[in-house]
Amino acid sequence: MSDEAPSDRKQVGSDLIIPVLGIAYAIYYVYSVWEFPAEAQRSGFFLAGLLFLLCALFFLRTLLLALRGKAELEFLALLGPPEGRWRRLGFVALIGAYLLTVQTLGFTVSTFSFLFLGSMLGGLKSARRAATFAAIAALAGWLFFIVLLGTRFPLGPFEALMAQVMLLWT
Amino acid sequence: MDMSIAGLAELFFYSASMWWVIIPAVVVGILMGAIPGFAAHNTIIMLLPLTLAVDVNIALTFMVALYCASHLGGGIPAILLNIPGTGGAAATTLDGYPMSQQGKASKALALSFVASIMAGLITSGVTLFLLQYLSQVGFYIRSVEMVVVMLFGLALIAAIAAQDMLKGLIAGALGLMLGAMGADHIYATPRGTFGILELFDGVPLVPALIGLFAISEALIMLEKRTIAPEASARAMPTWGETLREILGAFKHWFMMLWSSLLGLIIGVMPGAGASIAAFVAYQQARTYSRTPEKFGTGHEQGVIAPEAANNGVTTGTLVPLLAIGVPGGSTAAVMMVVLQFHGVPFGPRLFVQDPILAYGVIMSMFVAYIFMLVTLFPLTRYLSRITVVANYYMAPMIVAFTLVGAFVPRNFMADLTIAVAFGIIGYIARKTGYNVAAILIGVILGPLLERSFLLSMRISGGDPMIFFSSTIGNILWALLAITLLASPSISLLRKMRRKGDIY
Repeated sequence: MSDEAPSDRKQVGSDLIIPVLGIAYAIYYVYSVWEFPAEAQRSGFFLAGLLFLLCALFFLRTLLLALRGKAELEFLALLGPPEGRWRRLGFVALIGAYLLTVQTLGFTVSTFSFLFLGSMLGGLKSARRAATFAAIAALAGWLFFIVLLGTRFPLGPFEALMAQVMLLWT
Repeated sequence: MDMSIAGLAELFFYSASMWWVIIPAVVVGILMGAIPGFAAHNTIIMLLPLTLAVDVNIALTFMVALYCASHLGGGIPAILLNIPGTGGAAATTLDGYPMSQQGKASKALALSFVASIMAGLITSGVTLFLLQYLSQVGFYIRSVEMVVVMLFGLALIAAIAAQDMLKGLIAGALGLMLGAMGADHIYATPRGTFGILELFDGVPLVPALIGLFAISEALIMLEKRTIAPEASARAMPTWGETLREILGAFKHWFMMLWSSLLGLIIGVMPGAGASIAAFVAYQQARTYSRTPEKFGTGHEQGVIAPEAANNGVTTGTLVPLLAIGVPGGSTAAVMMVVLQFHGVPFGPRLFVQDPILAYGVIMSMFVAYIFMLVTLFPLTRYLSRITVVANYYMAPMIVAFTLVGAFVPRNFMADLTIAVAFGIIGYIARKTGYNVAAILIGVILGPLLERSFLLSMRISGGDPMIFFSSTIGNILWALLAITLLASPSISLLRKMRRKGDIY
């Protein structure tokens, strides 16, 4: 259901995304089992058929609403309230950047950068407060996840430096 | 082997003398349970060097206490941030989070903690006396009965998404479709994986959970300054108010008792687990409630039922492990590895060779829950403050730290991308009214249902009548039909009564 309703008509555009994605995946799934023996196809065909049926019912319902003039194709509601919309889209892009750089920068540096930029994009005005928050959280995360729990998250320049410091100390 | 009262009392004091093991395990368990991805079995795996090195009794007490505490911890982020710490806490978000949004976070936490602890005490107490009988349940649940149990889960999908049943069913079916991804159960050939090697084992549950709940929630969080209205949640509850909230939770004693026993029975069935138990309990609570329309809007019983059930499961999953050597869940499986390392036998031999150890496992659980009572006051009072922390701090922190949780179970970098992909699906689903919990149930049930279904069909040589061939299965079918029909029938009767058509 859409958040923004400037008119009485129901905004159904974004409601169609999940069924369309579902049908697209179901078609791909059926294609991937097409060459399988019948026994192995059974469950895939059943699940894809179920999803097709439900989505068809949903499309029919939407079509009937549209024919009665009670629905309109609108996608903007998906992006939430207009205020701060670009900042939120920037945050999504930042998550993508984090995925691309985490293997090179390692846990601490990438987490610091992500938290710093993420809090600024989220609406924090003071860069100093953002840097302090990011530094404390990234260091606490390093201590907890990497040092104490020994998770095998990618290590980067900071972790390498700390390993050298520890080596010298011991 | 039967245990006398004197023997149980002796066992109780022995377990209580392990306080120095239980207290740190409870602290670690609550902390790790509250971080999505760091479920009890992951934590136990990470601490294997410790549990393998110490005496078997110490290792067992530590693992059991950590396991129970992690289920209690899983409800904390579910209530405060709409992010279940464990799969079993997914149902808690349905009413726990709306309570937090209304500024009633401390009350929701009190309900969750009291339900969890009481359920743990009830089920471990009951199990101590009924262990020898409960251990038989696992023998009667075969693939045929498992299919019906799974269908219970599927029926819940429609019930959970009551605002728009069709959207709820689409969400559930999409989850099932995604859950069927990976190598097929007969020929081990990959299906629907886009050629991605990391998906050959199927959709990894932890990244899916983190994406659907944590990342999507973080994206939505940025639309508001804080989770709860600042004015309503600014004042911290006094100790007196905290005590009243805790005592107030006890008025739901019957719901706690019923849901915890339901959790215990579902936990005894190998493979069922806390997620299914919590949703079954939630749906049962709503079906038989006098005010079913309040569920999903921040209703107290909507927090009590899933939390009591998922803690009831903790006891149940250990029963088949002890009695027949079949672990009832992933944590029980990890425990089994540790116990095998220590040379502990399972099944009937355990009850003959080392009965004290068999009953000691459940008694350790009972004692751990008693120790958890101590944590009730400070946790309830202080944790609710999280809901007034600005979202520009919370959202980036949730994404950064839960992505570590997505990585931990398999150590694949691809799991981070999978979590983000599910995050985007979850975001679209939330914004358009498709229930993310329904998608998650589908993903969880998909492979389990497929495995049991194919196994039954193989046994019967392709005859579907096998699903109606067992007495227990038929009883479960009847219960399923009643469950499906009860909710709409009761609603219809209430509607008719309101209109004055019936009296």
